[in-house]
Amino acid sequence: MNADDWLRAFAAELHHRRVRPDDARHVVAEAATHLRDGGGDPTVVFGPPGRYAAAIAESVGAAPPPAPSAPGPVRLHARGITKRYGRRTVLRDAGLTVRAGQIAAVVGANGCGKSTFLRICAGLVSPDAGEVTVGSRLGYCPQQGGTADFLLPDEHFVLVGAGLGLARGPARRAGRAAARQLGWDTPGDVLTRHLSGGTRQKLNLTMSTLTEPDVLLLDEPYQGFDRGTYVDFWDQLGRLRDAGRAIVVVTHLLDRLDRVDLVLDLTPAGGTDRNGDAGWGGRA
Amino acid sequence: MNRLLTVAEMTLRELLRRRGVLALMLLLPLTFYLIRRDAYVGQSVRSLMLGISWAVSTAALFATGAARELEPRLRLAGYRPHHLYLGRMLGLWAAGLAIALPFFLIVVFDAPGLRHGGVAAAMLCCVAIAPPLGILIGALLPRELEGTLLLLVIVTVQMLIDPAGTGAKLTPFWSSREIGTWAVDHTDDGYLTRGVAHGLVVTVGMIIAVAAVSSIRLRRRRHLRHLPVG
Repeated sequence: MNADDWLRAFAAELHHRRVRPDDARHVVAEAATHLRDGGGDPTVVFGPPGRYAAAIAESVGAAPPPAPSAPGPVRLHARGITKRYGRRTVLRDAGLTVRAGQIAAVVGANGCGKSTFLRICAGLVSPDAGEVTVGSRLGYCPQQGGTADFLLPDEHFVLVGAGLGLARGPARRAGRAAARQLGWDTPGDVLTRHLSGGTRQKLNLTMSTLTEPDVLLLDEPYQGFDRGTYVDFWDQLGRLRDAGRAIVVVTHLLDRLDRVDLVLDLTPAGGTDRNGDAGWGGRA
Repeated sequence: MNRLLTVAEMTLRELLRRRGVLALMLLLPLTFYLIRRDAYVGQSVRSLMLGISWAVSTAALFATGAARELEPRLRLAGYRPHHLYLGRMLGLWAAGLAIALPFFLIVVFDAPGLRHGGVAAAMLCCVAIAPPLGILIGALLPRELEGTLLLLVIVTVQMLIDPAGTGAKLTPFWSSREIGTWAVDHTDDGYLTRGVAHGLVVTVGMIIAVAAVSSIRLRRRRHLRHLPVG
């Protein structure tokens, strides 16, 4: 990697880590001066761009998330959701209300029903009790699967777009534009089965946002994402929230809960959650 | 219509890219045809029908399995159940025709003394029935191993059952056997009439069954209510 490539990658990594633009410009200029004056391989001098950017972000800090705008009308209202598998009750009287311009995180221990709750909200699974009221258009991104191995990413966009009545060209362009928001330039000729796990999840996520849903339901969509993409993902959620979408994201990573407006903890009674309180099917 | 054709196109694209599967889909009927070719050509032609039916049904079964995770998302994206199952069927019918055509030409050149219109009609019955049969099994049995074994049972019964017996009429591909007999043994027209009627009834019945199962599986759940955006 030559100095220019390294500096470009370094600047991108700083952006991913949400280092303030002024700080990033300053640090990149300093590194460029150092390389120009001292010479040498930048990877040897500073290390990999990602690692050096992480160290810089650690020392100068990240920009605070933008202040949330006032939430709009209710877009998703789930109440009294109870679900049993055989004799095991997975969800009991769970509820959640999300408004336009809000992000809700569904958290909880493994097996506490996070994915089931989301699938009930998406209308893919019927609850034993309870009801869900949603806006007119839903987007859903599963934890895995949901793509076709032998289709190209562009063909996925065409397929999803046709459901909305979009012509091929606009569907392809909309898909590629949405993918770029995640830092992914969709390849024209690579089958989905040849994409890495993380890239396949980017496709999955792109498909769910392509329909411009009022309510976006995301089931741990970041599986396999590298750190940069993970940051891009949360930035993208922020943009969607600012555009008035209601977003529900299932997560067990609690490091981004500062960027969400609501938290629904489904940890059952007797379990331990991050706050130490408990509540089976707890409310947000 | 655009949705239907898009699903059909994507089904075909997926199938055409699985070159190993395509090769085996061609090898299966060819094996059925060649295995008895040195004896009586009529038996070879009837076996060929079974080979085509089996190959196309299996392709439909696996196409249904592969689409299982994708279809609920497509429902949310604006597709209705009939766009999905009819689109997939259209794509598989096109693939079935493409597979049957070279075998029809083989029979025309290899066995000139047959009623070739009858051979074509029997093959059309196989191609018409196999996709909805495979899709139905795939929809009812989500695990591919179970589906494959059930398909094997059906084909084995079809192969071994006495075609003159009453029970044979309950097997899905009896029509191709009956029309095939008319084509290769030059029997009376009753065979053709019975075969065509059976083929039509089974095809329509299979499509209705697929429609029913898919509509239930991809139904709009009662607990979910959509409100107009305010």
